[in-house]
Amino acid sequence: MALLLSPLDAAHRALGAKTSPFGGWDMPLAYGQGTLAEHRACRTDAAIFDVSHLGTVRVTGSHAFELLQRSLTNDLSKITPGRAQYTHLLDPDDGSVVDDIIVWWVGVDRFDVMPNASNTSGVLAALGGDDVTRGRAILAVQGPHARRRLASVAPVAAEVGHFEVAEVDVLGAGCVVAGTGYTGEPGVEIAVPAADATRVWEAIVAAGVTPAGLGARDTLRLEAGLPLHGHELGPGITPLQAGLGWVVGWDKGDFRGRAALEAERARGIARRLRGVAIEGRRPPREHQAVTAGGEVVGEVTSGNFSPTLEHGIALAFVRPDLKPGDAVEVDLRGTPTPGRIVKLPFVKTG
Amino acid sequence: MNVPEDLRYTSDHEWARIEGTRVRIGITDYAQDALGDVVFVQVPAVGAVVTAGATITEVESTKSVSDIYAPVSGTVVETNEDLADAPQRLNEDPYGEGWICVLELADEAEVSAMLDAAGYRALVDG
Repeated sequence: MALLLSPLDAAHRALGAKTSPFGGWDMPLAYGQGTLAEHRACRTDAAIFDVSHLGTVRVTGSHAFELLQRSLTNDLSKITPGRAQYTHLLDPDDGSVVDDIIVWWVGVDRFDVMPNASNTSGVLAALGGDDVTRGRAILAVQGPHARRRLASVAPVAAEVGHFEVAEVDVLGAGCVVAGTGYTGEPGVEIAVPAADATRVWEAIVAAGVTPAGLGARDTLRLEAGLPLHGHELGPGITPLQAGLGWVVGWDKGDFRGRAALEAERARGIARRLRGVAIEGRRPPREHQAVTAGGEVVGEVTSGNFSPTLEHGIALAFVRPDLKPGDAVEVDLRGTPTPGRIVKLPFVKTG
Repeated sequence: MNVPEDLRYTSDHEWARIEGTRVRIGITDYAQDALGDVVFVQVPAVGAVVTAGATITEVESTKSVSDIYAPVSGTVVETNEDLADAPQRLNEDPYGEGWICVLELADEAEVSAMLDAAGYRALVDG
C-alpha cells in the first residue's frame, strides 16, 4: 500500500527532510540539523513537529459523552468542554491497551478523539464517529519558549493553556488548538485545515521555531517517560502494568475492559514499567534483557541515548518488586552494562 | 557527497587511507549521513587481529545500530580514543577526526582490490 503523505509534505522536502514510514505515513524523521540539534532546540527554545499522521475521529451528538464515557477508561466527568484528557481504549477481554488517546472536548456535543496513526481504524470501529484525519494537519509547537514565539504569529492560540482546548482563528484559518504534546515541554497542538497548513507552518517557522522530526519527538518523549503504543502499550499490556492507573476512572460506571482490569488489580500485576538509567553513552534497545543478580528480571521496550543527560536511558517492563534505586544490568548487544531503576520522568521539564 | 580522491573504499561504505604498511579506516560521508547522529562508537581493541569483511566495531546513532566491517585484514595498532566522549566526530569530520582505527596490513594486495574514488562514487550515485 502506498504511504500517505502529510499536507505539509512539500514543505518538508523543501527543508531537506529525511523521511521514514510511520504508521502508514511517510513522515519527517529529521531535517538538516539532525535529531540531536532538534531535540536540544525543543528543550531550550521551541520546536515544531508535523504530527498529521495522528488520527482524528470526530464523535458528535447528544449521545457522544455517554458513548465515550463507557468506551474509554478515564472519567470524562472530571473535565468540561474546552478541556483535553489522556485516556485508553481497552480490549474488552483482557484489559490490554488497544490505543492510548487524547480526547479534545471541543464543544458540548463534539469530541475530537486523537488515536495513534496505526490505530485510527481500530478506534473508529470501536467508537463510530467520522474519520476527519485527511482534512487537516496537526502542528505541535513545543518548548519552553513555544508560546512566546507562537504569540508573534497567533497570539490567541499561544494563550491556550495546559490541557485546554479552543477553536481559534490562526492567520484566517479556523483551527482547533489544544495545550497538549508529547515532549514533556509546554506548548500547543494546532489542528489546521489541510489547505491552510503550509502557510501556517511557514509562518511559525519564520517566527524562529525549529522544525523537528519524529526522531527528536521519540528521544523527547522517552526522556519525559511517556509511553509509545507498540512498545510500552499494546496487546497483552494493561494500563496498570504500564504504571498508568491514574488513567482509569474507577469511580465511574462500567467501561470496556473494566472487569479484566479489576481482576488484575485484585491479583496484582505481574510486571511493571520502569525507567532504567544506564552507565555510559551506549543506547539500550528494544528487547534487550534486564538482569539483577544474574537473573533476567525484565526486558527493554524503548531505549536510546539521552541528549539531555548524555547517557543511555530505557523504559522496561521489570519484576514488580523492583523499585527506584535498585541496581540492574542491561545486556547491550552482549555487553552487560550497569544501570539503575529510576523515577520517571528521566528529565524534569516545564 | 564528499568522496576524497586519495582514499580507497568498500561497498559497505568504509574508507581506508594508506600510510606505508598501515591503513587508517573510518566510515564515509554517505554512511554518516545515512546513520544520522552518531551517539556511540565501540572502538576495537589495540592488538585485535581482524579479517577483511568481518565486523570490527559497532556504531550507534539515535535511530539504529550498524556493524562496521574491516575493509582489509590486519592487526589493530591504534584507535581513536576521542570517540568515547565525542562520537559526533563521525558526523562532523568522517575522513579526518572521525577516523576509527589504524590497521597494520596483513596483505597489501587487499588494498588494491578496494574501490577507488570513482568506483565508490559510481556506487553511491547509482
